Amino acid sequence: MISSINPSVKAGAILIPGVLLGLMFDIFTPLIYLIFIIIVTFAFSHISIKKWLLIFSPFVLLALGFAWMRMLYTSEAFDSGPVLIQFWHIEITKGAMEVAASLALRSLCFVALSLLFVLTTDSTKFMLSLMQQCKLSPKLTYGVLAGYRFLPTFKHELDVLRQAHRIRGVGRAKGIRGRIQQFRRYSIPLLANAIRKAERVAIAMESKGFTGERERTHYHEMKVTKRDWYFFGTLVGTFFLVVFLSYSLGFLNIFGKDIN
Amino acid sequence: MTNQWKLKEIVLMSVLGVVFAVIYLMFFFFGQGLRNFLMPFGLGEFGYEIIFGIWFIVSIIAAYIIRKPGVAFTSELIAGVVQVLLGSPAGPMLILTAAIQGAGAEFAFAITKWRDYRLRVLIAAGVFAAVFSFAWHLYSSGNIALATWLIIATFAVRIVSGALLAGVLGKWISDQLAKTGVLRGYALGKEQQEQREHDQAV
Repeated sequence: MISSINPSVKAGAILIPGVLLGLMFDIFTPLIYLIFIIIVTFAFSHISIKKWLLIFSPFVLLALGFAWMRMLYTSEAFDSGPVLIQFWHIEITKGAMEVAASLALRSLCFVALSLLFVLTTDSTKFMLSLMQQCKLSPKLTYGVLAGYRFLPTFKHELDVLRQAHRIRGVGRAKGIRGRIQQFRRYSIPLLANAIRKAERVAIAMESKGFTGERERTHYHEMKVTKRDWYFFGTLVGTFFLVVFLSYSLGFLNIFGKDIN
Repeated sequence: MTNQWKLKEIVLMSVLGVVFAVIYLMFFFFGQGLRNFLMPFGLGEFGYEIIFGIWFIVSIIAAYIIRKPGVAFTSELIAGVVQVLLGSPAGPMLILTAAIQGAGAEFAFAITKWRDYRLRVLIAAGVFAAVFSFAWHLYSSGNIALATWLIIATFAVRIVSGALLAGVLGKWISDQLAKTGVLRGYALGKEQQEQREHDQAV
């Protein structure tokens, strides 16, 4: 199951195809890879289809808007081929249509890859794995984990602040100047409190004997096993396979240059 | 690098990273709204560009307060990681984007050898973050396929946004914070303290 894959290896397996997808400007490559990611998502994880669709579908709409913009304002390098649609003074060529569809599919690939990571990864384990596998300094790791732990308290503090303002008769802001004043009234005390907390936490950590040395023992040992590498190999390997497939079928287009 | 930092500076960076990760996520949805609003005018592409500077602000605030090498880069990176922890749909790619933006801001401070923290350097940090992130988006979002005039126009808007929303607003927030006295243990607070003592002596 994907949720038990080592988080650092998982992040790597998602980053590499994600970055390389930036090279592809044809429709075929991102489309096939998107289908592959969706199959992997549902075959090897416990994510419910309903939940996934709920998060994914807004991005389909976004991608359509994105494609529309790309289609209207395509650069000359891509704006070629016969005119397919014509109304008013807008002409949409085959080339523009293709590049827009490719970029939209690419952005959906990013979303699907990200969801594969975000929905199957525990945040604490991700941080611990960054420390143990990627050699992130323990000072940073535990600092981030401590800061992350404060998130729920920020909401509580905001409520307290709001009530404190109301009890002193400070009402809702009107107009732009009022809005700016209000922004200051909330953001500065919230940040100041956060900074005070940071200082206290740092002192507490040091007083409990936290030195931040790299040679330390871990309660949760994060290991990289063969299975993790199989996962990595599958995600990255399939990407190259898809690229090769689209090359042999004559679809491959890298940075606007057809490669056959 | 981390050996030069005190633990309390690192925790401060992390807490700032957490706070601004939430703000960044909120601005993601705000930008979406702005984009949908501008779309009918054919200006949807500018929706995010106008507010893009906000995504560099933590670099400027942290570097201005702590004033040590690597702070601008690391604080932005932390904000990126925390957004992933929060479950941002942008996922691990966001960490990479954050690293590139942070490197841009760090670049401006590196030019001055991490000694100068006047407004003009903070604005330069916002501008460089904008330049770096724009170059990255040309590649990753395929913006390179856009018409040349649109690329130039969005680039200009992003730079102005970086200078104002990250540079100027970042300095303003930090100065307001220093006034509350919570930064006494950090470089910015100490500088302001000295300034006050100096003024009193004169």
